[in-house]
Amino acid sequence: MTAATPVAPGPLPVAPRAGVAVPGLARLLRLELRHNAMLWLLPVAGALFWFNGYREIMALPPMWNLRAMTLQNRLLLDLTIPVTAAAAWMGSREGRRNVADLVAGTARPRWARQLATWAATTAWAEVACLACIAAVYVMTARQASWGGPLWWPAVVSAAGIPALTAIGFAAGAWFPGRFVTPLVTIVAFFGLGFGTQAASGDHSYWQISPLTAGAFDIGAAPGVATFYHYLPDLSIAQVMFTTGITFGILGVLGVSSALNGPRLRRLAAVIAAAGLAAAGTAVALAGTGRLDPHGMIVIPALHDAASNQPVRYTPACSRTAIPVCVHPAFAVFLPAMTAAVGPELTEVAGLPGAPARISQVAEVYQQEPQNGILSLAGVPGGSSFILTDQVPGEPGATSAQFAGDLQDTLGLQLIRDVILGGNASAAAARPSQAQLAVIAASVRPGAVWLGPSAADVSAPEISGRQLLTLSGPAARAARRFAALPPAAKHAWLAQHLAALRAGQMSPAQLP
Amino acid sequence: MTAGAIRQAPRPALRLVWLHAASRRLPAAVALLAACAAGLRAALFWHWDAYGALQLPLIFEAGCAAVIAVAAGSPFGDPERATGRWLPFLRLGAAAALTALAVAALTAAGAGAHLSGGFLDVLRNVAGLTGIGLLCAVVLGGPLAWTGPLAYLMVSVYGLYTDWHPPTLSTPLIWPARPPHDLGGALCAAVVFAAGLIAIAVRGAREPDGG
Repeated sequence: MTAATPVAPGPLPVAPRAGVAVPGLARLLRLELRHNAMLWLLPVAGALFWFNGYREIMALPPMWNLRAMTLQNRLLLDLTIPVTAAAAWMGSREGRRNVADLVAGTARPRWARQLATWAATTAWAEVACLACIAAVYVMTARQASWGGPLWWPAVVSAAGIPALTAIGFAAGAWFPGRFVTPLVTIVAFFGLGFGTQAASGDHSYWQISPLTAGAFDIGAAPGVATFYHYLPDLSIAQVMFTTGITFGILGVLGVSSALNGPRLRRLAAVIAAAGLAAAGTAVALAGTGRLDPHGMIVIPALHDAASNQPVRYTPACSRTAIPVCVHPAFAVFLPAMTAAVGPELTEVAGLPGAPARISQVAEVYQQEPQNGILSLAGVPGGSSFILTDQVPGEPGATSAQFAGDLQDTLGLQLIRDVILGGNASAAAARPSQAQLAVIAASVRPGAVWLGPSAADVSAPEISGRQLLTLSGPAARAARRFAALPPAAKHAWLAQHLAALRAGQMSPAQLP
Repeated sequence: MTAGAIRQAPRPALRLVWLHAASRRLPAAVALLAACAAGLRAALFWHWDAYGALQLPLIFEAGCAAVIAVAAGSPFGDPERATGRWLPFLRLGAAAALTALAVAALTAAGAGAHLSGGFLDVLRNVAGLTGIGLLCAVVLGGPLAWTGPLAYLMVSVYGLYTDWHPPTLSTPLIWPARPPHDLGGALCAAVVFAAGLIAIAVRGAREPDGG
């Protein structure tokens, strides 16, 4: 038997100091990052967003407001299932593997371990969210003709991710059964996706949903946040709400476990109370919202009056007989616009009553009962016009429809003002059959005026639908006049406009 | 074999079925299917817009399919495979019975209310989604079998959305977006369901690597 070699005693374990606590937590977080379900679900999240959201967003016209607001409406919902599921899966890990008792004896309180796991899951989910935002914004930056990124919609989406992971994680931690992950995911998807359906009007508390970008019944419209700044009021309330929900749930998670010790549970209770109070306040603030004339939601307590100033811009103008000038964000539509109303512009250019230039102006919105929005799109007349909300590239909108709408509004406005001598003088008069024939022949000839009976309308009410009622000699005259080239129409109008306005011409005298 | 043994023969069979059901948490699964049906019924009292009315049943159908798929997982693994001669039939019976129960429960929940698509829609969607879930159970294991139905739910919800916002996704592979009487969609769902049933009966759910 040999004597055992004495072993020199090693250094005694040192109680962790505040200075080494952070590296310990960072190491724990690193471990959780490496062994996280969300990491494996990143491709699924990317694929779902590409299939559901990205393709549709990129099919929209390259306007920052349209794409950013649509992104807010789609991204969080597309990520709900992978993010919530991953969080629930990670939250139920200890219970699912029956190691809750085993890890209860480790140095870290249970809440700290849970927060590290939640933070790692949230970090990977944010990576997915930010990657999706970056993909949309980088592509839009390369295509947009004007403006810069709208950050608030992106911030709201990013702020919604921790709330989803907190909901999923807490459900997984509290009910670590095999069914909890799909069920909490379905509930989160249902709540987020269908929560906006209860929204009604601009005072609705439900517009606190992080999917709601702007007024419920306007949403992402080309004219919103173009002529005026994007108002962050609702976004601020939404970020406040999701952040409050996150802190509230995580706080309740800390309170719910007796293993956390009384001091930690008190801290968790304070955090939970503060979070839930913030969320409740945000909901109350959303209920004070009102629709501003430019299509966005104003929350008085959060509103900055400086945001009401119009955006300064240099308009983009066409090189047509009468220049058509639009907001530079709409410059991409200028060729389509001039193609649609080019004949009318040539026909009336230089005639008495014709404008020297036509400029796009902002649409004015007004809230109606429930979700109704009144768009005060009554054509301003003269030298200004409002562009339709349905621009090519938006879901369901086609180039042909866009051109038709322009001819029915801008084209009709131009011809009507010239032929009838402007709104003021025409208001009291009834248009003659010859005047109606010329108007009908100039606006979408052959499409809007082939009707069965004579028109009996006052001048200010003339629209494409009413021109459908032309018949008999007026319709035949309109057909003849429509067959003329724009230059010939212009020459004839230059010679006979005064007589036509005075009602001294019959349809038979039209060329 | 004695006369007493013959009289007692049904009891061991029933016990085997019960043990199989208990090992898969089938009673809990049945309760959750009933909860899904109750949730659908409660949701149908609400006034939904066109989107909501069409997409609402699909969410509960996906929930049922996920529950059925997760219930396919076995906690025993090899010992059960080695000793269970009737195991394929038990797996097949459990999956088929739960699917039938889900269809019946959801259809009953929609009775007297405006259930978009009606019985045929519920039958097709639940069967197809369950087929996806069962295939996921075979490939990924029971605990992760929900991934397929829930991912497909997202695709299907978008498919229904494109009914309003063209271009419409018209492929029968996204059968929830097709009309209830559409043959292509029904065939796709039936094929996926049959494949899922066969796979789960023959192979069983994959055993998890460690949870």
